[in-house]
Amino acid sequence: MDLTYSLIAVIGTLVVAFIVSLFLPGIERKFIHARIQQRVGPPITSPGIMAPLKFFFKQTITPESPMPRLYNALPLISLIIVVILLLFLIPQMYFVGALASIIALVGFLKVEEIMYMFMGSLSRSVLSVRMPFPDKAKGAAHPETPQSFFEDLSSLRAFRLIAFGSFPLYIAMFVAVAMTGSIYLQDIINYQQVHGPILFTVAGVMGAIVFFIGYMILLNEYPFAILKGKPDVVEGPYLEYAAKYRAYVYITRGFLMFTLATLFATLFLGIAPNILNPSFIITLIVALLFPMLMAVLSAFSPIFTYKQFYPTVAGVSIIGVLAIVAALL
Amino acid sequence: MDDNKQNRTVIEAEIPMGTVHPAALEPYRLRLFVEDEIVRDAEITVGVNHRGVERIMEGLPVEKANSLTEKICGICSNSHIWNSCRTGEIALGIEVPERATYIRIIMEELERLHSHLLYLAHGSEVLGHETFSMRLFYIRETVMDLLGMIGGNRVQYGSAVLGGVRPRCELDEMRLQKITEGMDLLEEKITAFADRFVSDPMVMSRITGVGVISQKDALRLACTGPTLRATGVARDLRREMEEYDPFEFDVITQDDGDVKSQLLMRVFENFEAIKIIRQAVRDLPDGPITNRSWEMQDTPLTKSYIEVPRGTLYHSYSLEDGRVRNCVIRTPSMANIGAMQHACIGHHITDAQLSVVQCDPCFTCTDRAIEIIKI
Repeated sequence: MDLTYSLIAVIGTLVVAFIVSLFLPGIERKFIHARIQQRVGPPITSPGIMAPLKFFFKQTITPESPMPRLYNALPLISLIIVVILLLFLIPQMYFVGALASIIALVGFLKVEEIMYMFMGSLSRSVLSVRMPFPDKAKGAAHPETPQSFFEDLSSLRAFRLIAFGSFPLYIAMFVAVAMTGSIYLQDIINYQQVHGPILFTVAGVMGAIVFFIGYMILLNEYPFAILKGKPDVVEGPYLEYAAKYRAYVYITRGFLMFTLATLFATLFLGIAPNILNPSFIITLIVALLFPMLMAVLSAFSPIFTYKQFYPTVAGVSIIGVLAIVAALL
Repeated sequence: MDDNKQNRTVIEAEIPMGTVHPAALEPYRLRLFVEDEIVRDAEITVGVNHRGVERIMEGLPVEKANSLTEKICGICSNSHIWNSCRTGEIALGIEVPERATYIRIIMEELERLHSHLLYLAHGSEVLGHETFSMRLFYIRETVMDLLGMIGGNRVQYGSAVLGGVRPRCELDEMRLQKITEGMDLLEEKITAFADRFVSDPMVMSRITGVGVISQKDALRLACTGPTLRATGVARDLRREMEEYDPFEFDVITQDDGDVKSQLLMRVFENFEAIKIIRQAVRDLPDGPITNRSWEMQDTPLTKSYIEVPRGTLYHSYSLEDGRVRNCVIRTPSMANIGAMQHACIGHHITDAQLSVVQCDPCFTCTDRAIEIIKI
């Protein structure tokens, strides 16, 4: 009986998460961006459901890559990592011990981040190809310069993102650890069932703000879209993905949006995702609210360069550290 | 090895953008020579969309040739046809009726408005601010509707002809009323946008001190139009054109020469364009709109310069048996290319497109010369 219950809970939660996540990009585009920009916007199913469906039936091309198979596999690997991340957030999976801890979650998120680096370094798009002759009209100022591809640039930026850009998210995750004195999700949830949600403490509020900024940075949304800025790297790591591989990219993004919001609900509200628990509705509300808030902020933001990005990350990280200190007090 | 090569900076890598880059909207190749994402040198190449308009014009009857110039640009089409007709009128000594001149100025200032609003929208898009971009396109629609109403089209109005303007561009009371209402609406919308724009700290932090062109560099690089005026040089060819003599307007200048100055420059110029249009509507003289009493004759090479939204536009040709000969056209972007390259240097890669866009490039129209090379 217990096993059946657990199986239903785990599989049901994953299925519902998958279905909801398909609508999140549509909600973001249709109800927020389009409304703010005073236009009709795409149908709600377009970005999350119809676009991936369409891409699944497009002809696959072989990308210009030193390792095309690995390069094409990366979006799927990325999706699997995010699914595993959500899997270990479900209470029925807490028996796996260390895998259902903050440290493991940080590890999975780091692996997901590293994927962007691999994507960048394994791609060679046509946009950066040198012209077949030197530029004689201009006198070819630097004719023999080694050429860098857009994807190299995005790979380098992904490295920087791993090194410091995603700091706020991880710091915010450790606010819950500092407050509960445990790295295990089970203990964090139990603590909040006794003491109330961490969100309603000073440290929790600060942590939530930091978490939200980190959420936006990890999702590469404006103004933090340094990996895929239109004025320079276009789509950065995703540039060469076509057909079903692009569909995986779309699905992964929606799923990551849902998973990170679920992580927030678990760490700051003490509500783990479980379809058989009525409080799952709160997880869904958080999962809807986060993309909506993100869409509002991104609709009113220009893209940041490092000049704005470094101070923002530093400032938010300091708030995160203060939140940890407040949690320890 | 030439001196140039010896003095070159050590370049870490090149990032070529284009000839088709989504942020560019026009076919041009921007080569950025970078060192840790900071641009150390930049090079812009045009020439991939050369259409040979001057060559096609060669030998055409002058009125046909004038119409063809309108196809050079989809943004300042009126400026081209006006200047081309103006060249012919100077050459043939045609006196343009005053009412026609006023209508031409209304068209030109409307075009300045839509060009500047397009510039601001494109600038916002490159900045990553999609909402500003969308809203500016909505504001621009008012101008496009007015241009469509007067000229019959939204892009190619064909208003100017030798000796005046086409009959369909005649302004009756209803049209004048609509223009006045449109100007009121535009003034309100642009003011609201400007307030929002300058009070946005994130936007300001992205555009202040970026893509700086000093006054000295602007003069050295022979910049023209708003690009030059944004560096503090009060040079506006409209002050030297007799067509603009009856109108009161200020020459807008900004001091910093950065992206912020360039954007604000265009915002404030919009208000001056509205001011001129209002004066033209209020003081529109009665009388004919076309002078047909002139005779075709052979003329020497004649040139005409006018101030168009992007700067100084040059047209020149001679006439032989009523046909155009030795036609040369130079668009303002040609003069501003040096400044675009210069503005990128020392800034982040993400700012490079912004630094180019701040000079309001129109490269397709600039493609006037090609060099055939053997590959």
